[in-house]
Amino acid sequence: MSSSEQKYNDTIVKGFLISGLVWGVASMLVGVWIAFQMVYPELNFGPYFTFGRLRPLHTNAAIFGFALSIIFATAYHTVQRLCRVRIWSNKLANLHLVLYNLTIIAAAITLPLGLNQSKEYAELEWPLDLMIVIWFVIFLINYFATIFTREEKQLYAAIWFYIASWVTIPILFIVNNLSIPVSWIKSYSIYSGVYDANIQWWYGHNAVAFVLTTPFLGLMYYYLPKHIKQPIYSHRLSIIHFWSLIFLYIWAGPHHLLYSPLPDWLQTTGMVFSIMLWMPSWGGMLNGFLTLTQAKEKIKTDATLKMLLVGLTFYGMSTFEGPLLSIRAVSGLGHNTDWIIGHVHGGTLGWVGMMSFAVIYYLVPRLWNTNLFSERLANVHFWIATLGILLYIVSMWVSGISEGSMWRAIDETGALKFPNWVQITETLKPYRLFRGIGGGLYFTGLIIMIYNVVRTIMNSGSGFKEVDLRIGSKEEKVV
Amino acid sequence: MNWFDKLLDWFSGFTDQWEKHGVKFTLYTTIAILIGGLFELVPPFFLTKTAEPIQNVKPYNALELAGRDVYQKEGCNNCHTQMIRPFKWEVDRFDPQHSYGKDGYSKAGEYVYDHPFLWGSKRTGPDLAHESQIQPSAEWHKTHLINPRDTAKGSIMPAYPWLFEESSTVDASKIADHMRGLQKVGVPYTEEDISSAPNLLAGKTAGDALIAYLLKLGRDTAELSKSLQ
Repeated sequence: MSSSEQKYNDTIVKGFLISGLVWGVASMLVGVWIAFQMVYPELNFGPYFTFGRLRPLHTNAAIFGFALSIIFATAYHTVQRLCRVRIWSNKLANLHLVLYNLTIIAAAITLPLGLNQSKEYAELEWPLDLMIVIWFVIFLINYFATIFTREEKQLYAAIWFYIASWVTIPILFIVNNLSIPVSWIKSYSIYSGVYDANIQWWYGHNAVAFVLTTPFLGLMYYYLPKHIKQPIYSHRLSIIHFWSLIFLYIWAGPHHLLYSPLPDWLQTTGMVFSIMLWMPSWGGMLNGFLTLTQAKEKIKTDATLKMLLVGLTFYGMSTFEGPLLSIRAVSGLGHNTDWIIGHVHGGTLGWVGMMSFAVIYYLVPRLWNTNLFSERLANVHFWIATLGILLYIVSMWVSGISEGSMWRAIDETGALKFPNWVQITETLKPYRLFRGIGGGLYFTGLIIMIYNVVRTIMNSGSGFKEVDLRIGSKEEKVV
Repeated sequence: MNWFDKLLDWFSGFTDQWEKHGVKFTLYTTIAILIGGLFELVPPFFLTKTAEPIQNVKPYNALELAGRDVYQKEGCNNCHTQMIRPFKWEVDRFDPQHSYGKDGYSKAGEYVYDHPFLWGSKRTGPDLAHESQIQPSAEWHKTHLINPRDTAKGSIMPAYPWLFEESSTVDASKIADHMRGLQKVGVPYTEEDISSAPNLLAGKTAGDALIAYLLKLGRDTAELSKSLQ
């Protein structure tokens, strides 16, 4: 381990892992809170903690606080090992960590104050947008400089996915955030109306693609084979699904705007490409699954592997549900309902969350040079999180489909069956309550993991020894 | 060897080369994502249909704009949509007076002065695109905003009493800057529109402004439609 510490900069990885844990707690705590606000409106404490102000805080902290921290941690960890060089500049890496966290802190303050641009996942006001550009450029210079000074000629699959993310995120972010500032805390989008909607969902959907999908596929391509000590199932499959994924994803935005005044041909393009996207997505999932089957006997004992398995399963499920929802007829029922919230959380809690947890369980013992404090607690975390996701998604499916059906229900005379909106709200109440409970379970799992991680770190330096969990402690003693 | 394997061989023949060149790889990746991106963003930009206002749609006046800012600040778009889809059941629900004739769904021209658009993506509360025609009473809106349960028992909307407190009066000097900013991105405000702001905003609270905005939603197109009928 000490030789690895000399060769690679692991401090930056630790820094981003810890910031991931902090923002994970913040985002999910707010998530649970706003879930209960949708059942008990008394939980809105005005003016700073109403649903309208907390919801952007929840999404921004989850995507740009939690997920992005994990992405940067794994990016710094994998790029050094896959290129067999130390990160190009330690100073730039530290600057990146500090500025990044300052931005997220500023976001956590300004969003409850009501300072926002009202564009989904791009709510932060313009001074913060500029700050993001600054540290992203710092990071890009450092990352690409590391790649260009590498000692390993071949760029491994994991790196492709990270590179695709780094080139696309700035393009999306800058184009969508172009606005005219009218004061330090207020700006107006330079686009208007339908065209603004088009840009927003080109950005919004590709944030799913290049923040929540490609970096996590990248980390899957590194940590899954590493963890089970087997090569990835098919190199060719990774080539084909990588190029088709990044080519197709960018077209899918308009499926958020079906039946809107957006030109029909554009809506149709969005729908067609979304359906095509099913193939490369499942290509990635299958490559993961087939790799995993090479170590299937470990699944029973190993919590990390279980999390990778469930993460992949939810990736497959969400990327099946996405194309389904982008079919016009299905969108007619599901659009604007709780179904979409369920779909999104299948991806975020199931895919992004589970993959992140797996990586944390993999990295923490190795980085702090000690064994995990408790494998049993990791297993408890796994089960409680899985149960939480299932409760969440199933209740949102029922709620969303009920919601959509009640909106459109028409009686024999052709009049609306449920003209009273509150009647629909009341019907959905129990499902929304179960969603809150599901989210609460998932959050509890996170707290268990943090306890486990803290106890592990307290043991730091005691020496990491890989244990094959299939061999019970009894047999180990014999050896 | 079947055709698919041949295709794969051909494709991985050159991607294998790219994988050894960082610059090439990054460049080709960028091109791959730009093709779809440009196709989606460039042609619609030149389509006049998405950019021309429907005759009669006017920019928000100073008070309505201040109200729109409040709407954005409070994140109302997280629960209310502003886009009525062309379904009978949506038109019946969100155009109950048939103010828009046969087609009470949303048109591109209604949104030309919206920076940013506020369609939302989740309809937890009702759609507000044509709210002025559904609930034209300012008094009702005030009661509803102060405590939603007073007008709709069982509503899960947060209460916004502070919007009507004296401390939350709207600032006329700020709104003039906001209008100048919007001028720069193409909203045709006249100097008179801007100079009349202090009069319009005098003594008004954030809540009054928000109600003025809600009562602007769908008003211009409904008036046009009534004059045509």
